Amino acid sequence: MGRRIGVRLLSSVPALFGVLVFTFLLMRVLPGDPAVFFAAGANAGQAEIDMVREQMGLDKPLHEQLVRYLWDITRGNLGNSMTTGQPVRTDLIERLPASLELTFSALLLALTLALPLGVLAALRPGTIVDHFVRFLCTLGVCVPTFVSGLLLIYVFYYLLNWAPDPTGRIDIFAANAPEITGFLLIDFALVRDWSAWRAAAGQLILPASTMALFVLAPLARMTRASMLAVLGSDFVRTAKSLGLSDLRIIVVYALRNALLPVLTISGIVFSTMLGANVLVEKVFSWPGVASYALDALLASDYAPVQGFVLLMATIFVMVNLLIDILYGVADPRATVA
Amino acid sequence: MEFNRRQGLAAAGGLAASVALPTGEASAQTRAETLRYVTGNAVNSLDPTVPGSTRESFGVSMNVYDRLAAFGRKRLGDNWVFDHNEIRGELAERIDRSPDGRTFAFHLRPDATWHDGTPVTAEDIKWSLDRCVSARSLAPPQMSTGSITKPEQFRIAGPRTVELMVDRPDRLALSNMCVPYAIMINSTLAKRHATTDDPWALAWLKDNTAASGAYMIEQHRPGTQTILRRNDKWKGGALPNFQRVIVQTVPEVATRANLVERGDADLSIDLQPSDVAALEQRGRVKVVSVPQTNGFTHISMNNTIAPFDDVKVRQAIAAALPYQHMFQASLFSRGRALFGADWTGTPPTADFPQPMPLALNLDRARELLRESGHPNGFSTTFTIGTGTSAWAEPMAALIKESLARINIQVDIRKLPDAQFNTGQAERSLPFYTEGGTAWLPAPDYFFRLYFTRPQRWNFASFNNEELNALTREAQFETDPAKYEAACKRMIGILAAEVPLILVWQPLHEAVMARNVEGYTYWFYRQVDFRDLKRV
Amino acid sequence: MSGTLRHVGWVLRGNPMTAAAAVGASLLLFIAFFAPWLAPYDPIASNVPIALQPPSAAHWAGTDQLGRDVFSRILYGTRVDLAIAFSAVSLSFVIGAVVGSFCGYVGGTLDRVVGRLVDVLMAFPLFVLAMALVAALGNSIENIIIATAFINLPFYIRFARAEVNVRRNLGWVEAARASGDSDISVVLRFLLPNILPAMAVQISLNLGWAILNAAGLSFIGLGITPPTAEWGIMVAEGARFITSGHWWLVAFPGLALMLAVLCFNLLGDGLRDILDPRMRT
Repeated sequence: MGRRIGVRLLSSVPALFGVLVFTFLLMRVLPGDPAVFFAAGANAGQAEIDMVREQMGLDKPLHEQLVRYLWDITRGNLGNSMTTGQPVRTDLIERLPASLELTFSALLLALTLALPLGVLAALRPGTIVDHFVRFLCTLGVCVPTFVSGLLLIYVFYYLLNWAPDPTGRIDIFAANAPEITGFLLIDFALVRDWSAWRAAAGQLILPASTMALFVLAPLARMTRASMLAVLGSDFVRTAKSLGLSDLRIIVVYALRNALLPVLTISGIVFSTMLGANVLVEKVFSWPGVASYALDALLASDYAPVQGFVLLMATIFVMVNLLIDILYGVADPRATVA
Repeated sequence: MEFNRRQGLAAAGGLAASVALPTGEASAQTRAETLRYVTGNAVNSLDPTVPGSTRESFGVSMNVYDRLAAFGRKRLGDNWVFDHNEIRGELAERIDRSPDGRTFAFHLRPDATWHDGTPVTAEDIKWSLDRCVSARSLAPPQMSTGSITKPEQFRIAGPRTVELMVDRPDRLALSNMCVPYAIMINSTLAKRHATTDDPWALAWLKDNTAASGAYMIEQHRPGTQTILRRNDKWKGGALPNFQRVIVQTVPEVATRANLVERGDADLSIDLQPSDVAALEQRGRVKVVSVPQTNGFTHISMNNTIAPFDDVKVRQAIAAALPYQHMFQASLFSRGRALFGADWTGTPPTADFPQPMPLALNLDRARELLRESGHPNGFSTTFTIGTGTSAWAEPMAALIKESLARINIQVDIRKLPDAQFNTGQAERSLPFYTEGGTAWLPAPDYFFRLYFTRPQRWNFASFNNEELNALTREAQFETDPAKYEAACKRMIGILAAEVPLILVWQPLHEAVMARNVEGYTYWFYRQVDFRDLKRV
Repeated sequence: MSGTLRHVGWVLRGNPMTAAAAVGASLLLFIAFFAPWLAPYDPIASNVPIALQPPSAAHWAGTDQLGRDVFSRILYGTRVDLAIAFSAVSLSFVIGAVVGSFCGYVGGTLDRVVGRLVDVLMAFPLFVLAMALVAALGNSIENIIIATAFINLPFYIRFARAEVNVRRNLGWVEAARASGDSDISVVLRFLLPNILPAMAVQISLNLGWAILNAAGLSFIGLGITPPTAEWGIMVAEGARFITSGHWWLVAFPGLALMLAVLCFNLLGDGLRDILDPRMRT
């Protein structure tokens, strides 16, 4: 088991390396000279543009830039962002908790809704209930996240004034948050500041709901499908024929087995959400890593995008590793390559 | 006082660093004394001269740093606008000009202090001025437009006096002391953070301040928000009304409009024209609309790329653009049109920009195309940037449609801003649109900046011998009548040659809470918080 | 053949929603083909004097910023969006399923190499990758299709590989091998159809995702170039007009987009029910 983990971990290193090199090349292929973009002052002539290019290290040949970049990475230096003026590592550390908190909350919210719905649909396959659940979940996937986000803001903030001001993680006029973990819900709970906790949770609701709506369908669908498969399998039939109660069968035997594929998909969903919630972060001015990377991408600011991709890839690899291990433990049929 | 605690915290792997206020002080700041300003862009530098600084960074620096002088303001109808003809002292108490117009003496305020309490000295000013012309920043090119190029031009003339000398009387020399780049820095503090590679402390000043202005930086998270706190010991003018200003980046334009209308934000200046119209009509907020006298939106043709090197082709295109429709669709007519004038040859005044004799006339366009040797038209690409797409996309669609009527096939290309700027700088865009602002709106400055020399801001790559000569002479022309004649001639050349087309000056529209007053339109198109007060 | 048809009929009768989705999808295809005949106005002809009119008898879905008929633009947008969805998903599904199945069946070096490449690809935050690709290649329809297909590829490869991996030593596969079928034949004739139901779910989601992806790219400014009518760009631009009260600009295209994605998703569900061999009696 330990050897399997070690092998898996080691085999992830080439993937990360591949990610690094691929991103690096992709960034360099982007048309648009960042030096020109950043030398945007009045009368900035060729000399000024060249100066900025030199500052950014862009005047060296490509392979030399790559080697230098890889060497910097091993020493923990992810470069500097021209758009924020800070080291990329600082920016990412600052912003990652925001994205993580949002994604976790959204996933939790989605699971809370998806699991019961999926089980319900699996217990009554083919009935109105099943169709309704399927319809409901599918509806959530059909609307682009930025539309549902903006509509939620329009209805709940602008019209009804139920939701707080949809910008950022805490009320901008409030005192600053305690900086323990960076996860506001945890931090406020640790210092027992419950009114601030409620405020931070309030800020989370709209963006988390927007994201949860979108991932409801795959989670519920997978729950239903795997639940159905398990309910139709031999051992459940055996349990039923032995006279065990339905509830016991569902909760003790079926659900546990059905949850495995849901777990796998949750992992995939989590990693995808983390990188794909750029639209939600933009709409809600959430200070996360995805919007940070987007701004940098549109400005041809290479370092933040490379750093962001590396970060996401690392998280993805770790999550995958976790899932693979759990899956391998639970289902001996699958081989771990 | 140093504001680099955030660097320390961040380096320790900490999180969003902020200069944490003790809770008592924080709760004492009431909502009314705080101004919350939301913008779609980011404040990415506390030193405006650093390459890559955004316009929002310029705006913050105008409040945090003092300069030797500043423009005044005047009434335009109900609104306040900047007056570039009136220059008053800011850090300088009095400015003396020599009779020959070549020497300016700045007498510093005796009681002026830096934010850390130390007094402002003539040495600080000399260092700051030297930095303007010597540092590898965006300042030197700007200063050169006022004939300010060498540190030798500045000298300390007394314990509280600094002199600026120019070789020839340049009408823009003094004005250049008022621009965002001309910041006055606490040299003692800055030099502590200078290195041999970076003698002017460019790296440190990007994230920290060494200033004397009306506001101090309380918190700075580049790209997210910047919080200013009033400097109660400011001597550069009347103490501002707002104790605290929050400059927050909210990228989604609809959300900014919602925030201002709901009263959660106090001010925003980059809302969409459609939203401004709706907000004005619903009446819950105050809208200040000011014509941007020093800015314009232009459609440029690269005069070095065929077929735009032929003046008849350019005139044909100028006659085939649906001006009125573009104005309505892109801007909801919220601006000043720069087309539709009926003068020919010489303009009525020397003001610039002013309406030009441009109108939609498809027959004339077809005739011109035939004369130029393109009876069957040609095809080309019209490029717009993502950042301007709100108004540029409708314009592009209308241009494509209209030019198709005279057989010119237009392919619309939308590029992210970085690529757009590169294309523009490399002079590879044949046909495109963009906005422009001139900080110092003297007509000859406009023409020199936008119509001469192979440099970034010559949008159309225009090269006209007569115009080049006129701008060179006008820079030092002291006779007002001759200056006016020269400017009129420049405008006439623009009308005849049509290297590019100035279509309109969008309104500068500031939407704010109803109890906020004093908003002034400044030449750098950002908010000066010192003018504002809550009634 | 009649057995399949009867089975299809049975499935549709049992799933009225799938039937409705099938009708909806057919309608979309019909509209996509016949849009030029169905649309009352030219989708790109501007008419600025009547810009931003609410829905009326003359313009069922109102007019947009340039006075263009929103209803006609929605009809024409069907062509663009269906083209993007089908092209992108077909491309990634076909390539991904075949490659993944072979990797899962054959194993060994091929499996390891492809696995590493897929790991690299999947480790990317995919939407950012799509954005980067479009930003690098330019925002034309072809590039958006390529970018969308590219980011969906790893899902299919991995899924196919995993499913085939689980099944490759099962009894009936052994039997096929024993009776002399070549590896290629075993994969294509036995394993692929067997794993199709699981992949059908993925396909249905992907068809919808492709359209939503295009909409997301438009929101960021990397979508289809104007003045082409496409739902995503209409929704992205229309979303900016909610505050000023011009609701029809986002409502109608948004509804069209939502209904199309809904149809594909529900249809995919129905497809799985038809193809799932375990449900056949």
